[in-house]
Order: sequence, then structure tokens, then C-alpha cells
Amino acid sequence: MRLPVSLQRSIQLSSRAKGASHGRRYIQTTVNSDEINHFSRLSAQWWDEHGEFAFLHRMNPVRMQFVRDKIIETARDEHDESVTDEIGIKKDVLTGMDVLDVGCGGGLLSESLARLGANILGIDASESNIGIASLHSAADPQLSPSPPGSRSPSGSLSYRNIAAEGLLQEPRRFDVVCSMEVLEHVDNPATFLSTCAELVKPGGHLFLSTIARTPLSYFLTIFTAEYLLRKVSIGTHTYSKFVNPSEIVSFFQSYRSPLLTSHDAPDSSSFGRPWITRTYDHGLPTRTEAEVRGMIYVPWKGEWVLMPRSSTAWGATECNYMFWVRKPRE
Amino acid sequence: MSDARITFDTSESGAWGTSESTPMANMTENLNLQRALLRYMSHSPTVRLLDRVKVVSIDREDKEGGLGWPLVHLSNGTTLRTRLLVGADGFNSPVRSYAGISSYGWAYDTQAIVATLNHPERSQFELPNNTAYQRFLPTGPIAFLPLSPTTSSLVWSTKPRLASTLTKADPAVLASMINAAFRLPEVSVRYLHESILDAHDADKPLSHSQIMEEIAWRERSHDISRHSAYNSTSSVVSERGVPPDDSGSLPPLVTSIQPSTIASFPLRYNHTDSYIGEGAGSRTVLIGDAAHTVHPLAGQGLNLGLADVEALARCISSTVMQGGDIGSYTALLPYARERYFENHKVMSAVDKLHKLYSSTAEPVVWARSVGVEVLNELDSVKAALMMNAGAYGRKRNLGSGWDVIASGFSLATGVVNATKIIGGGMTGLLGVGLQSLSKTLNQTNSK
Repeated sequence: MRLPVSLQRSIQLSSRAKGASHGRRYIQTTVNSDEINHFSRLSAQWWDEHGEFAFLHRMNPVRMQFVRDKIIETARDEHDESVTDEIGIKKDVLTGMDVLDVGCGGGLLSESLARLGANILGIDASESNIGIASLHSAADPQLSPSPPGSRSPSGSLSYRNIAAEGLLQEPRRFDVVCSMEVLEHVDNPATFLSTCAELVKPGGHLFLSTIARTPLSYFLTIFTAEYLLRKVSIGTHTYSKFVNPSEIVSFFQSYRSPLLTSHDAPDSSSFGRPWITRTYDHGLPTRTEAEVRGMIYVPWKGEWVLMPRSSTAWGATECNYMFWVRKPRE
Repeated sequence: MSDARITFDTSESGAWGTSESTPMANMTENLNLQRALLRYMSHSPTVRLLDRVKVVSIDREDKEGGLGWPLVHLSNGTTLRTRLLVGADGFNSPVRSYAGISSYGWAYDTQAIVATLNHPERSQFELPNNTAYQRFLPTGPIAFLPLSPTTSSLVWSTKPRLASTLTKADPAVLASMINAAFRLPEVSVRYLHESILDAHDADKPLSHSQIMEEIAWRERSHDISRHSAYNSTSSVVSERGVPPDDSGSLPPLVTSIQPSTIASFPLRYNHTDSYIGEGAGSRTVLIGDAAHTVHPLAGQGLNLGLADVEALARCISSTVMQGGDIGSYTALLPYARERYFENHKVMSAVDKLHKLYSSTAEPVVWARSVGVEVLNELDSVKAALMMNAGAYGRKRNLGSGWDVIASGFSLATGVVNATKIIGGGMTGLLGVGLQSLSKTLNQTNSK
């Protein structure tokens, strides 16, 4: 499935992005087989909270907080206050939403999303990851499929061993697409981003988290975490694959999604408006279109902290960061 | 042993803008606390209370891949599979042994006697019965904690042999011994204890009249006036008359002990190595006495437990809002981080206090007596002490800065020889130890 390495990791993505994969005879994937082997080897450790993925376990509450806050914020922007006053204090903010978790790994994020009421599909290119994820969620009655007719407070959760590009061939689209800590592991991030973008319903949300390509991120995620402290297996991260927030923002400034015709088939000739139309002087998007927020690990607290919007021009995104963008309704 | 004393009065802490009428702390009987909790729970549709059942055993679900959840087997034959098992089951916590969490600590060679005491109402010339008293005897502190105008609680920590003798004795004997323990000089208190033990060993326990006679003789030989509040056997002060000048320095005279309220149990210092179960014992968390037990002399046991509950509830609630698994180690970690050191600080201060007061060595006695007299003159330090003792509902806005300073001072309580602790309101320093102790006791009894 893997294509020749001519898929160079240039982030000059805009021209290529429009061409996305529709109408091709084969499915082009952004899955890197070395990466898949690496994570398949480690798959048994997904749920060991002290092991290889301890940092991800600790990061999960912060990622979920960001998703939750953003969903509530958009609901507040769109509805009048009386409807949205209660949404802030209620748990199931994702009730009734179709959510896709691309690169779900052992299901850390998928399980949390399901508990907030989402109908969630977790996909991963590694078969052993899907095996671990399914086994783990089966032990949790909150997550197992509820008998038909009974209104379960939590949503439904299912997993599939498929690449995002494969899913694009199917008609199903999602209100929310999440892909956390995946972008820095794929080949050709531009194609990956446009694939994720196309899986989002109009007016839906795309959430990403990844690592910026800076000296600081090299020092923390590769030198310190992998070599110095040996908390993470050597080879987990590749510096050149890291993606800067400005690169994602500029991708979505030129990315236009193909418009659907009346027959629900994509029309290759017509495109919507770019996902990000306005930015401030320093290059940051406006709050209603997209958002970039830094995440920092505080060792003495043993916790990740989501940096406030205003901490620096780019919101302390020199290392780990979250990205949110909304698909135009058209 | 000296007569150095310190008083705590809530009006001295007015500097922090709290209303002067605010009590330092509130005392409540365990029964009332339980009743209030049960009433509250009955209004919550999500809480299911199982009564008249016991936990038979706890084991781990046998499942491939180490994903087993704790299974709690009940005496009515049902089994509960738990996402998170909270061990709030006291010092001998079965949840702790299931979780395989070890702990460190030591026994104090001390037994606590608890009882509910009856006494006459304070006269109109005296302050109402809302002052707690504590006397530090070398064998351990004896504390008198007001409940109502005519009843109060006793927490008397003493040597195990004496404790068992006193609890088996005629309740009238115990009542007289309590009165004497607050009033007589230490040398006579020690003599009384020795004679009651000797009589017990000789299988000829002293009768109430024999004890009264002995105490009366001691009072005469110490020149205690029959008009003084320190006189407990032959006082000529009539109940309705003008009280002696020194009546405020002492608790009211105990007239009798409420039937079947006398109990005793051993005291320990104990702190678990961790509050969260891991590996084979995962999905467990410990709170209250299951996680830590302290000497009751500063009445901090229940306070620590309540603070645990508050922190754990906050931790669980934020995890639920983020869709997390409340049984996971990561979800529980903020609770342990918030409470472990905080508890340790208070526990070691209480432990040091106990050790300091167990000593009868002259230099130690001199140092702590001077310390307590000095401290009694330092109003701001005392106010900080009172705040740390759990008064004023632990207002958050008082800030952690004060907390740190105040705990510094709680180590300084090492030099407090508090024969008496007076509060304008009810006194907190000793306040709530009793509830936590009797709670432990109830749990031990029910097992």
C-alpha cells in the first residue's frame, strides 16, 4: 500500500491539497509501515499507565478539555444563552454526534469521547492496536454496546482496522474528526490533512494535536524523553516529521473542500471557500474559524497544562500543541 | 509536669476579619453526622445504599490481559464489579489489604477511652458549656469536649493497662477519676492510677467510696480549698450559687457517665505508602483512617478525612467531565498529590506533640512550659494556630500561604502545655478527634 517515497514531506501543501484522492483507482495512504510496526510492537503497553505511553495518559485529560471547551464554545456562539447555559455543566456534550478518531492506538481518546456521549468510530492502521483497543473497551460496561431500545447515557464505540484514506471511499462523514499525536507519524501530512478534512461534515470540527518543529521540541521530545530519561522508546519521534502550527494554519488558509452536488457525489470542479479566511497580523486565525493552543508538561505536578490563548503570540506552541478548525457550512 | 497553660479564644483572631461570634470549630456526635449524611443521600437518585449486608471478600476479576476489576462479594450473595473501589473502611481497611498497599507506623503504647459525660449546667455567672479542655498528663492527654449544656465527650489517652482497668470499673469510679485527672497535681494523679492498678491486680477493685476517700485525702494534703473549683469531693459550693473564681479554668464536675458509651481502643500512628492501588490492586483508592491514623490529641483525624473526601470528589468530578475513567491511576493521581504531603505535615506535627508531652524530664518540662507561657502572649501566633486547627470552615481565600505559615506554628505547638484551651466559641483544636475515633470504633465493632 505504501507509495514511493516521492511523497516528500514538503509542507508546501496548498497546491496538492486540492487534488485530494477522489476519483483515483487505488487508495493512496499516508500510513508509514515503519511507524505501524513500531507501534504494533508497543501495542500491549497502551494501557500501562506507568509505561511507554504514560505521557499520553497524562495528556488525555487536557486534550479532552480542549475538545469539550471548543464544542461548548461553538454551541454558545450559535444558540441563545438559555440553551447553552446548561451545556457547560453537563457531562454529555457530544451526545448524538458522530465522531471519528483517526489513529486511535489503544483507544485512550476514543473511550473518553464515548463517555461524553459520542457515537465514536476509532480507526488505526495497526491491527494489533485495534485488537488491544477492542479488548480494553469490552471490559468497560459504560462502553459496551447497549441493548437496542435502551437509551444508554454514553454513546457507542466501535473500532476498525482501516486507514483514513480507506474510510474516505465510504459515504459516512463525521461531526467531529480527531487525530491526536498522529500527524507527526504519517507520510505526506498534506494528504493526511485533506483526508481528515474531507471526512468532516459541513459545519463540523477537526481536532489535531501534534508537535512543532523547533529546537525546544527536539530537546524535550527526542533528546530528553527518548534518550535521556528513556521514558519513550528511541525512534518514536522523527524530528523532520514534526509540523509547525503556522504550517497547518497556512494549509487551511488555502484548503477548500469539494462541494457536494445534489446527488451527493463530489463535483470535482467546484470548491467551497477556504477553511481559514481571516488571520490577525501575527498570523493567528480568528477564534471562530480555527485555534492553536500550546500544551506544556509540568514535571513537578506530573500534569500537562493547556496554555491560555494569550500566553504568547502563538500560545506557547513551541512544542506540543492542539489545533482546531471548523469546516465551513457553505 | 507544670501548670503552664494556654488559652485560645476566637476573638483573638478578629484580625482576619472573621466575625467574632464565629466558633473555632463545631462538635457533633457521630450519630448526628450519620443521620445528616443518610438524609442527604436519600434525596440523591444516583446513590444506592445497601444496608444489612457485610463485605465477605474482595478479589480481582479473572480476565486476560490484566484488565480485571475489583469484585466485592457481599453477605447477601451479590457481587459488585467496581470501576473504582474507595477504601473508607477504617484503620483495618480490607480494601487496603486487597490493594496490597503497605504502610508504616507504630503503636503508641496508648489506649484511648471515650465516653459521654453528664454534668450540671453552668450557672448564669459562668460562660456556657462551649469550651473544650485538655490536660496533658505524662501518660497522655485527657480532653473534655462540650456537646450540649449538660453533656460532653471524653477522650482520654492513657496507658493500656490503666485504660482497661478504668473501662471495666464501676462508671462512678471512672467519673471520679476523670474529675481528679483534671484537678489534682500530677503526682497525686499518678498515685491514684497506681493504687487503682494495684487493687485491680490484687483482684480487689476499689469501690467508689474508697476512691472518693482517697481523692479527698489528696485534696486536703494539697491544701485545696473547699471553696475552689479544684475540689471535687467535698466542695461547699452550691449548684445555684456564685461559682468560685477559678471555675472557668476547669470543666464542669462530672456527675455520671451515660450508660454503654464507655469504650476504648489502641492508638497508632499510621500512614500508607500510597493512596492509590496499582497493578493487581488497581482501581482502588484510600481515604480517611484507611489511609492514615493519627493520635487524637489535636482532634485532626476527621478533619483530614473530610479534606480527603473533598479532594477526591473534585478529582472524580473533573475526570467525569473530561470523559476519563475514574478508576484509572492517572485520574486519581491529582487526589494523591493534593492530600499526601498535606496529611503528612499534620500527622507528624501531632506525633511530635505527643512525644513532647510524654516526657517528664526536667529540661523538657521547663522548655515547653516557658514556650507555652510565651506563646500565650502572642495573639497573632495563636490565631494562626487556631486557623490551622480547622476553624472557620477552612476558607479557601485564606490562601495556602497562611496554611504554610500556620503549619510552621503547629510544630511550635510542641511547646504548648495546654492545661486548658478556652474558646469564646466551641474549641476546635481538639474538636473533631472524637468523631473520627468513635467512627473507627463503630467500624471495628461492626466487623
